[in-house]
Amino acid sequence: MLTAAENERVTRVGPGTPCGNLLRRYWLPACLSSELPEPDGAPLRLRLLGEDLIAFRDSDGQLGLVDAYCPHRRAPLFFARNEECGLRCVYHGWKFDRAGNCVDMPSEPAGTTLQARVKLVAYPCFEQGGVVWAYMGPKDKEPPHPDYEWMRAPDSQRHVSKTFEGCNYLQGLEGGLDTAHSSFAHNNNLTSKNELRLRDKAPRIEVERTDYGYTYSSHRSLGDDGFYVRAYHYFMPTGQQRGHVRTWDGKMTAVPRNFGHIWVPIDDVTTWVYNIHYNCDPHVQLTPELIAEHEAEFGRAPEDIIAGTFRLKRNRSNDYMIDRAAQKTKTFTGIAGVNTQDFALQENMVQGNMEPICDRSKEFLGTSDKAIVAMRRLLLEAIAVVEAGGDPRGLNPASHRSVRAWDNIVPTGADWQSVLAPDLMTQW
Amino acid sequence: MLTPEENTKITRVGRGTPAGELFRRYWIPACLSTELPEPDGAPLRVRLLGEDLIAFRDSDGNPGLVDAYCPHRRAPLFFARNEECGLRCVYHGWKFDRHGNCTDMPSEPAGTTLQAKVKLPAYPTYEKGGVVWAYLGPKELMPDAPDYEWLRAPPEKRNVSKTYENCNWLQGLEGGLDTAHSSFAHNNHIGNTDVLRQRDRSPHIDVERTDYGYYYVSTRDMGDEGNYLRVYHYVMPAQQMRANVMGWFGGKNVVPRLDGHVWVPIDDHSTFVYNWNCAYDATIEMSDEWKLKRESEMGRGPDEMIPGTFRLKRNQSNDYMINRAKQKTQTFTGIEGINTQDFALQEGMGPICDRSKEFLGTSDKAVVAMRRLLLDAINVVQNGGQPRGADARTYRTVRPHDRIIPKGTNWRDIFEKELIAKW
Repeated sequence: MLTAAENERVTRVGPGTPCGNLLRRYWLPACLSSELPEPDGAPLRLRLLGEDLIAFRDSDGQLGLVDAYCPHRRAPLFFARNEECGLRCVYHGWKFDRAGNCVDMPSEPAGTTLQARVKLVAYPCFEQGGVVWAYMGPKDKEPPHPDYEWMRAPDSQRHVSKTFEGCNYLQGLEGGLDTAHSSFAHNNNLTSKNELRLRDKAPRIEVERTDYGYTYSSHRSLGDDGFYVRAYHYFMPTGQQRGHVRTWDGKMTAVPRNFGHIWVPIDDVTTWVYNIHYNCDPHVQLTPELIAEHEAEFGRAPEDIIAGTFRLKRNRSNDYMIDRAAQKTKTFTGIAGVNTQDFALQENMVQGNMEPICDRSKEFLGTSDKAIVAMRRLLLEAIAVVEAGGDPRGLNPASHRSVRAWDNIVPTGADWQSVLAPDLMTQW
Repeated sequence: MLTPEENTKITRVGRGTPAGELFRRYWIPACLSTELPEPDGAPLRVRLLGEDLIAFRDSDGNPGLVDAYCPHRRAPLFFARNEECGLRCVYHGWKFDRHGNCTDMPSEPAGTTLQAKVKLPAYPTYEKGGVVWAYLGPKELMPDAPDYEWLRAPPEKRNVSKTYENCNWLQGLEGGLDTAHSSFAHNNHIGNTDVLRQRDRSPHIDVERTDYGYYYVSTRDMGDEGNYLRVYHYVMPAQQMRANVMGWFGGKNVVPRLDGHVWVPIDDHSTFVYNWNCAYDATIEMSDEWKLKRESEMGRGPDEMIPGTFRLKRNQSNDYMINRAKQKTQTFTGIEGINTQDFALQEGMGPICDRSKEFLGTSDKAVVAMRRLLLDAINVVQNGGQPRGADARTYRTVRPHDRIIPKGTNWRDIFEKELIAKW
């Protein structure tokens, strides 16, 4: 449970808000590289942390991320001409480079001093791992670039996709750090008794704080077979990473992988979810078929997406196409797509005013919510640290550089940490 | 730049707001005459300055403009019967004439005193120039009927149309008083250096206040050929007049004429733009074919409109069908239609532009001057005075002009006669 005031503090992300100030201390995904396919291509509208921005790839292939409105008379830069290393507003031809400098002001007399004084708000960005990253915080506090293992994996051994979620980011992040719900919401085989997560639906959870956030492990008893352990990471501020080594029914996967998400607030009530998927074993190959299979299972195959958007066809407007007959006999929710099941639950947590921000003052938490409570505490602490002028956890890439997640079956009585330790080290 | 307080003051138009009370001191367009094509025809929904109204043409052909809701139990008069010189509410049959008098109350006992006491709010109207004008202000302060030159031009030498714009009216008016942007946003011939407005893209601007608002002169340097001058008028509260006597490439225009717009607030976030033009004088032919072509070039011909509305097919919902390939090589915006280009920029600023974040330059002089006049006039009205431009005598004889004049000559001598109405 959070007080109403704490809930406000941890969910609102606009400029000047406590959580907004925290998030602005990290590099955040701004868009996929593939959304800006070519130099001098069409500018891209982006809303991030409640700010309307324009991203563009300039003539040199470098990225720009700037205010969506020209500083002159606030004309929309979406319609701008992307040419010769800058965006030229089509209202009066003022031109800005990706650093926000005004490099041409043809509607003013030659030699105008205005040109040197006008700046377009511009945020630093860089590109790695198929993602364009942006830093929207104070210039003097810009941290080094993040360096997650998936960003170093070869392009062919990694897949990153993006989905629109119609609610506050924290609901998504909470679902991502909650292994317990997967025994229910993601039970897509009602009649099976073999699936690891169905053999024990009340996992014990251990949380250990780290410099990047925390690692947590869930333990499900498999009787004589031992324990099913899943070791997750919470990367501050809004990242999750988990292992995919054992299949749902307990077999070893041919290609051991890590999955993850980063929830990036568009504004207080909508979120971009970046979905990360990479191969953990350099001796085997992640194939396009495996990627397609995973995306389909999670509900975001190309045919599940509204063309030209990142929105699911199964969405709030059609109750996620819930099939009540399937719900009786086949799946726990009757909704197709693992992450679509998550969206159905998360997007419909609303406050009294119908804003899709969960009212956490009305919760009752149990022991299986331990990881969620720990994450909220870390966020609230980090908010206080930033307010006091300090640096929040997880800014230093050294803290997360060598970390990966894993899941496996551990014999009863064994020390799971010693068993899993070698697998929790990066190989890329 | 305006402070957030000034921005609110100058943009909001509801009853009782500072700018709303200013607008209510002028005659403003309520609809086109063609929207009320016949006596006793269907009533027309009109939203004006945030008020929901019904316009109708009564049995005698006179336009009425009344509250959209019956004073009885607030039933919508849109469904009313327009018959025998009045609107009859279809809920209980109460009937009102165009002055708002209740002329029948059949649901009450004969001889009821209620009928004399009930009034439907009704605004005075005046029909001229293909436009139904309305006055929404205090009765005792009503000025004489509007008398702009273009209203006096004969119908065959004039064209009036109307377009819906999805933003605050001031964004439209600002674009209309900003000759500088036409060198960029309306550059539809990239690489063609003969276009007058391309030959000098940072015009020098001089503003002169008048009793109706101001006129401004923009001067573009044409080298040895002289200076290209455009004289615009800002007629308060929200009209622009400009000349297109010269063609885009110099020389006399195919149809030398005067053009203008009146921006009429529907409410704080949407606007009807009235687009007018009239021939330079009686010798100029203005064929129906040319009128259609011209409207299409501006982006609002019949093919460009959503049928049955005044809304453009190229609009916010489809990014004005911008063509990025065309933007690279042919036109500055990649958007078709001159006023569609304006809408993309103005609507894209958001419903109400945040003017506290601007950086204005010398080319914005006319925009700044207009805002100052509006803020001054708001004060004048708040202090009980008569704002500039309400009295038709101040603007009756005014017209705009454009021409290239030799360097070193006094533009006033050359323009003097051209700035006097010919209609």
